[in-house]
Amino acid sequence: MFLKVQCPWNVIIPAENLDANELMLQKSIITRLLEDFAGKRATKELGYFLAITTLDSIGEGKVRQNTGDVLFPVVYSAITFKIFRGEVLEGVVHKVLKHGVFLRCGPVEHIYLSSVKMPDYRHLPAENPVFLSDKMSKIEKDVVVRFIVIGTKWLEAEREFQALVSLEGDYLGPVS
Amino acid sequence: MSGEEEENAAELKIGDEFLKAKCLMNCEVALILEHKYEQLQQMSDDPMNQVSQVFEKSLQYVKRFSRYKNPDAVRQVREILSRYQLAEFELCVLGNLCPETVEEAIAMVPSIKSKGRAYDDEAIEKMLNDLSLIKKFE
Repeated sequence: MFLKVQCPWNVIIPAENLDANELMLQKSIITRLLEDFAGKRATKELGYFLAITTLDSIGEGKVRQNTGDVLFPVVYSAITFKIFRGEVLEGVVHKVLKHGVFLRCGPVEHIYLSSVKMPDYRHLPAENPVFLSDKMSKIEKDVVVRFIVIGTKWLEAEREFQALVSLEGDYLGPVS
Repeated sequence: MSGEEEENAAELKIGDEFLKAKCLMNCEVALILEHKYEQLQQMSDDPMNQVSQVFEKSLQYVKRFSRYKNPDAVRQVREILSRYQLAEFELCVLGNLCPETVEEAIAMVPSIKSKGRAYDDEAIEKMLNDLSLIKKFE
């Protein structure tokens, strides 16, 4: 699910970039915030960070001792993507393996659908392997699949989420 | 949230902070990201180089998975769904997946049929009809 969230952040402006002109100072704060944001990627709590939509407030700057840099507490709004257990989503198959398939959904790269969680489908080995059901519905590379999320995992080192998904339920499966 | 084990979006257990947060439909995110991308295009010759991987993948995704493209239609979808006292999360799942039948809608958003909610099948049917009308006239 895409979310609109509000986040606090501390922007540090080096002493040499300080400007008495308010507009110039605001510009430095925004530039610095965007740089910091670009390196953020994702957090466990809020998910993947897509883009800042607005800068909602700039607090009073505090001079840091020793360096003379000034720290401005700011609040901004951003769009994030977080994957929830129990959520129904659509994703695209990018790899078919013997025991299941990997899907992509938004910024999430590793979504695994195990063959155990699609009991109606059988693996057909070939140059382009597929999973085929008795009703001839087909799961192969680049097919869109609607699934339900049964588990999510946050990887701190990679700063990414992985998810386990299932087709056990009504109205789940490949979407034409 | 009291414990991570309990998270279950099907029962609308996604943590208080997210129940209150504003959720966005794919089509709304597409409009926002496309606008951002256009702004970057005006400032740079190689805008794809300026955006993060997360941005790029999300933009591709929402472009492919938006049921409504026209900004007026996108606004109407939210307006119409807002009349039905849905949680933000439920509203967006419905707007994203556009179920065609009452049965499908309940399968996608089981929480609308949970205890204490006032939806009968007729109300859900009307909501789905309203949605399909927007699609027809887009």
